[in-house]
Amino acid sequence: MEKLIKELQVKIVEVLNLIDVQPEDIGTDDQLVGGKLGIDSIDVLEMVIMIEKDYGVKIDNRELGVKVFATLGTLAAYIHKSSPELPN
Amino acid sequence: MTDVRIYISGMGIISSLGKGITETGEALQKSLTGIRPLALFAIASDQPLPVGEVAGPIEDESIPRTHQLARLASDQAMAESRETPDAVVMGVTTGGMLTTEALLKKNVQDPKSFRLHATGSVAEDIARRYRCTGPALTVSTACSSGAVAIKIALEMLRSGSFKRVLAGGADSLCRLTYYGFNALQLIDPEGARPFDRNRRGMSVAEGAAMLLLVANHPHNAVAEILGAGLSCDAHHPATPHPRGQGAQAAMLAAIEDAGISSAEVDYINLHGTGTLDNDISEARAINSLYERQKPLMSSVKGAFGHSLAAAGAIEAVVSAIAITNSLAPATVGCNLPDPDLKLDPLIQPAQRPISTVLSNSFGFGGNNAAVVFSDCGKYKPKRTYAKTQPMTILGSACITGAGNTRQTMKSIAGGKTCAGMLGIRPISANLAAGKVRRLKRFPRLALSLAIAAHENSGEGPDPSSVFLGTGWGALSETSDFLTRLFETNEQFPSPIDFIGSVHNAAAGQIAMRFQATGPNITMTGGDYSFEQALMAASLLSNGIDDTFLVIGADESHPQLSRLFDRSTSGSAILSDGGGALCLKTAASTTGFTIQPVFFESRENNPEVISSLIQRLGQPQQINDRYGLILAGIPAACRHEGEMQLKNLVSLSGFTSPVIDYRKITGEYASASAVAAAIAVKFLQNGKIPEALCRDKPAGLGQKGALIIGTGSFITALEVMPK
Repeated sequence: MEKLIKELQVKIVEVLNLIDVQPEDIGTDDQLVGGKLGIDSIDVLEMVIMIEKDYGVKIDNRELGVKVFATLGTLAAYIHKSSPELPN
Repeated sequence: MTDVRIYISGMGIISSLGKGITETGEALQKSLTGIRPLALFAIASDQPLPVGEVAGPIEDESIPRTHQLARLASDQAMAESRETPDAVVMGVTTGGMLTTEALLKKNVQDPKSFRLHATGSVAEDIARRYRCTGPALTVSTACSSGAVAIKIALEMLRSGSFKRVLAGGADSLCRLTYYGFNALQLIDPEGARPFDRNRRGMSVAEGAAMLLLVANHPHNAVAEILGAGLSCDAHHPATPHPRGQGAQAAMLAAIEDAGISSAEVDYINLHGTGTLDNDISEARAINSLYERQKPLMSSVKGAFGHSLAAAGAIEAVVSAIAITNSLAPATVGCNLPDPDLKLDPLIQPAQRPISTVLSNSFGFGGNNAAVVFSDCGKYKPKRTYAKTQPMTILGSACITGAGNTRQTMKSIAGGKTCAGMLGIRPISANLAAGKVRRLKRFPRLALSLAIAAHENSGEGPDPSSVFLGTGWGALSETSDFLTRLFETNEQFPSPIDFIGSVHNAAAGQIAMRFQATGPNITMTGGDYSFEQALMAASLLSNGIDDTFLVIGADESHPQLSRLFDRSTSGSAILSDGGGALCLKTAASTTGFTIQPVFFESRENNPEVISSLIQRLGQPQQINDRYGLILAGIPAACRHEGEMQLKNLVSLSGFTSPVIDYRKITGEYASASAVAAAIAVKFLQNGKIPEALCRDKPAGLGQKGALIIGTGSFITALEVMPK
């Protein structure tokens, strides 16, 4: 799980081109969207594609998205639970 | 001053509901839907999404599908007309994209195959078809394009300079929009259900609608267009303002422009895409506008699908049908209206007299338009309209391969080239890095230019409107979107690239930067895009006292520029950049003005140069008035352009310097915007740098500059001292 969180921190910074953010700045329990990181709803859509592409996990509706993208921790947990590509 | 009234004298339509006014009217009456699973092109998935596709074969595969659709609609609109239109104005967002995608997939490298890629090529094709020698203008404001085109046509007719304008919109389905909207999770897998409690999004569609608008009451008038209003949310690149502020502003502006009250509207044709956000935003706007008794209202997007640039024009036709057939169509797809919206959209069609219609069209970038239609002669004209005026230049800026304005002027003074492409870092020098992290080259160029021109104006009041001309738009985003789409077997297209690829995304960024909530217009007319933006600005700022921005910008892209812009094929290096002006219409006594003075096609127009000279005055007047000609000769038509320029100089006996400016700027569609910025600087300095004069007089005195466009169109802008 820790490895997944570290991996996601790097991917999020890279995919969203968060030039003012270091991977470790994305705290596990911090608000992921609409908070100090500057991540917004468009970024969420880009993360949805990245997560489907890299982990085979679909997040295809807004209600689910709100829950999954609450924090980096909830995101990692959801991927961990749902990914066919990660050992449970 | 004119008190013209604008009539629809012919209409044409082709859509997923069928072809022609009669068939469309019947389909609306029966509440049919044209939304079915995609069949037009092969896709990787075995579960095609529902779309509004035009059924049946379309003849003539030598031109892209958007062009075919536009021709089919235009032929109907022009069927009863013996006279040629004075101008064509079209909303187009994808142009030849469906064909381009197939060519790119096959790795075709021949630029000739892409000759009809440009959005602007659709309006040019239509103009040629009816031997129209006037302007062929292209509006690309996403989903409001068709309605914005009608607004521009309306103002052209009101200005008194045009009597007959063929206006509308066309877009074919293509992979870019099919996958792009899906990547944004904006597609309802069951087909669009506007305002329904269970709605989940829109259905992308295709089609075209064209209206022949005339300024004198024709014998066959269908309806009148009373007015139209534009606004920009200046809120978000892809999501509407949550309280519908921009939507409400556009509706209010349209109602005011029409000279009626909101209570006089009998039927509202809603934008109603079926997305969660649009329908909430629009419902709130309507509820703020109507506190009590609301007119009949419905969205037809569950019937036609959302045909993007065509939608505003298709719904103009629907509005006219509502009046002529006494029919308010149903909101097809909506079974249980969402109670949270507090709206009462028609579930069944209503057959009753309708004499005044308000039609809404909203687009990405918060780009809003609303148009008011009525029975012919129902209202007495309450206003007169003035001719367009010269616009006062408050500030100017350019970016070239040499750098920013100062660096460019220094390079020019030293007789050096400004060709080439500036690095992304210097382009972004005046941009906040965190705020532009999602923007690639084109939107950064445009935003940087806008900020620099405003800064150069002395940072007066923020501009309220934005007019942007671009030949090719966001090529990096378009290329990156399609590349990833194809590389991932159509599975993982980038939503950010899709939002960025939309032609008006850059102008939307500028609006957000300045909170510019007035008209926000992107014109995509190839090498004449800046001229078109300036023309739109001149028409839409007429009588308004605010500051506004007019920008021309293009990025060069290593792959796509070489394929799309034939002017680049002979150059060893690619160039890009642009220019921007911060303007105001109100008269001041000092400084300089700019005004578009001529725009005609060279096709079917052998006397075009004589017409230009006639417009400018006698040879003596031309020499007295202008101390400089800046001539734009695109490399793709170098020989022809040189002949046109030679003809102009010899027929007018012009003796002052003539600068072939693309030799300085390099080749790109909006190089004329750089020429405008350069002209302003020369006039401010009172002279032309010696290096450019070739022994001709460098001093400008009280003379102005003429910026000429040559090639397939002849255009003229004049920059004049007061």
